[in-house]
Amino acid sequence: MNILTMPLTRRQAFRAMFGLGGTVASAILPMKAIASTEEHPAHPVAPPDAVGMLYDSTICTGCKACMPACNEANGLPADTLLSGGIWDMPTGLNAQTKNIIELYQDPESDEFAFVKKQCMHCLDPACVTGCPFGSLKKVDFGAVTWNSSLCIGCRYCEVACPFEVPQFEWKALNPKIVKCEFCYDQRLKENLEPACTAACPTGAVIFGKRDALLDQAKGRIAAAPDKYYENRVYGEHEAGGTQVLYLSSVSFQKIGLPKLGNTSLGHYATKVTSVIYKWLGGPMLMAGVLGFAIRRNWNRHELERLKHEKETGFPDQL
Amino acid sequence: MKPTPSSPDTRGTTLVNHWQSGVPVTTGPVLTPLLALLMALAAIGLILAGVRVVSPLAPFSSMNSVYAWGIWKTFNVMTLTALGSGPLALGMAAWVFNRQKLHVVMRTALVSGFLFYATGLIALGFDVGRPWNFYSAAMPWRWNTSSAMLEISICMPLYCAVFLSFEILPLFLERLYYTGNEKARAFLRHVSPLIRKIYPFAIIGAYVIPLMHQSSLGGLLLLAGDKIHPLWQSPVMPWLYLVAAALCGFAFTIFLLLIVCLRYARRLDGDVLAELANLLSGMCFLFLAIQAIDLIWRGQIHAAFAFDKMSLLFLLETSLILTPAVALRFRRVRQTPRALLNMSALACLGGMLYRFIPTSIAYAPMRSTSYFPSVPELVMAVGYISLGIVAFVFAINYFAVLPGEASTWDHAFRPFGWKHPTATQATAIEREA
Repeated sequence: MNILTMPLTRRQAFRAMFGLGGTVASAILPMKAIASTEEHPAHPVAPPDAVGMLYDSTICTGCKACMPACNEANGLPADTLLSGGIWDMPTGLNAQTKNIIELYQDPESDEFAFVKKQCMHCLDPACVTGCPFGSLKKVDFGAVTWNSSLCIGCRYCEVACPFEVPQFEWKALNPKIVKCEFCYDQRLKENLEPACTAACPTGAVIFGKRDALLDQAKGRIAAAPDKYYENRVYGEHEAGGTQVLYLSSVSFQKIGLPKLGNTSLGHYATKVTSVIYKWLGGPMLMAGVLGFAIRRNWNRHELERLKHEKETGFPDQL
Repeated sequence: MKPTPSSPDTRGTTLVNHWQSGVPVTTGPVLTPLLALLMALAAIGLILAGVRVVSPLAPFSSMNSVYAWGIWKTFNVMTLTALGSGPLALGMAAWVFNRQKLHVVMRTALVSGFLFYATGLIALGFDVGRPWNFYSAAMPWRWNTSSAMLEISICMPLYCAVFLSFEILPLFLERLYYTGNEKARAFLRHVSPLIRKIYPFAIIGAYVIPLMHQSSLGGLLLLAGDKIHPLWQSPVMPWLYLVAAALCGFAFTIFLLLIVCLRYARRLDGDVLAELANLLSGMCFLFLAIQAIDLIWRGQIHAAFAFDKMSLLFLLETSLILTPAVALRFRRVRQTPRALLNMSALACLGGMLYRFIPTSIAYAPMRSTSYFPSVPELVMAVGYISLGIVAFVFAINYFAVLPGEASTWDHAFRPFGWKHPTATQATAIEREA
């Protein structure tokens, strides 16, 4: 007989109503509570103390002064694999490189541009959303930092980051996640600007409040229309907005900045689950419904088991 | 009791027997050359896992920061735990939706599911870079509750170590009852009513928790965003991962039952297998319906028929699921063991492909780096699978796992030292409790 066609006693019906009602309430009530303060809004607003970097690819001369400055501030060894032990010559962000100047060159035309790569310090970082035990965290000034004592080395941050910034120390037995932390511990806490912006001789990368830098970038675009690609700032809305902003005369995709939507990835990934898992409402509701059905089937199964054992003489197995 | 009458099998294709309870394998030697080979593979895999502890991940595996997840995660965990979802799929069907016929094959599903989860968790243990920090799992204030990875890293070990272990506990207790001394039996008579008390509550957790983490495995990939091809990257991925788990759970249980019945010359029960096949077909249709609606909703249906590499892969995966879905609608197919074996194998493959592709083949980050598993990675992955197979073979030989006729059950325990020949006596002792 199906569960739906089984007759209910009055007491059972009340019990089921209370159980279902309670679990439904526990799932629905918190939903109103989170509507006001969503943890991962689609378009996050920068915190008031958010600092930023503005990198203008048209000013950068590719002198790479920021790279040794970064290595020195972060205590990173030079990546001398390619140069035979002489120069710092990384081929991209890696376990010894938190900051790099890359060159884009069109093989046919003479179009070229430099690009500085480091953590974008997203307003709603995908790595922070994914990090299971909060090892990656967005701290004061909006800097995204890594805590060695909480990381289990699952490398979900590398899968999640749309800019492919976090780098796992594959060759270490005590591997760390290497990523730009905005020089938070080294300099930002002491009211110093990050090592790379301090070292930049041309002002291609400058440090400041995110709002101020955004205004400045838009001012540059307004002052020289059609100089900049799409007349817009990369990072204003990308993936919900980042604290590192880019201006470029060539396509952002050509210099290696991915084409991203304006919604934060954290919002996309958690908009349903944050409702289902709020105060474990969904699982509790599920447990209530399943428990009700299992209990009914179990009781009938037990009666049948005893009858069967009496008839056949064989003990029933669970 | 009279054994179930079985009519002669005229065509060699009709299923006639009636399974009533779990019966251990008693024929033939346990240790065959094939099993010895698998044991050797498992040993090599585990030795390499030991080497992995003292060697860093990079030269050992070919994972890199662009493809940060290798086959240990994408195959051994994300793909094979779908096959290990039999306890979830069959358990829900049996206990929640009251398909009583399925109780007799639950043990097969439970043991295979437990082994898939256990080997997957071993794989995970050697895959993570900083396992010594995992104690944070016991500190709720450290949990990042918006992370799907948190859900998986806590629920998967919990499910395997607590709920699945509890569900397979009767196997061990039963064996102890038949092989142990009077003291052990007295103890078991004491605890067995307790287990029956806890059981209906424990199985609630045993279904809620895998529902959570099997869908979270799909939820993990949401955060990867545009790195995954739009045919697979979709907001319904958690649901599809869950349905694929149920699909693979049913399909693999049918496949496994047919394979072991073939191997140990056991009779088949057509009713139970047909019931499973029916459910499998339903799950396949549910999966395809969700996928089709989602593709149309997102306006990506054209990408499925672009006939490029990804589209062909998608069509292959879909046809692998569609074929058994349609074929198993026909009663004649459901009642033909050979067709059932083929169709369940196809459904397994289709479900596995769906679970594997978005994590690896359709996962295309911007930076031009490639990943192909290194030899130690492959050997370890094969080693874990071999370990599971070896453990399963031992389990079916020494415990009452595989379904059989009740009339064969009592004498099947005699190799374990059970002296009393009649079943009624055994029941009488249990009844005293």
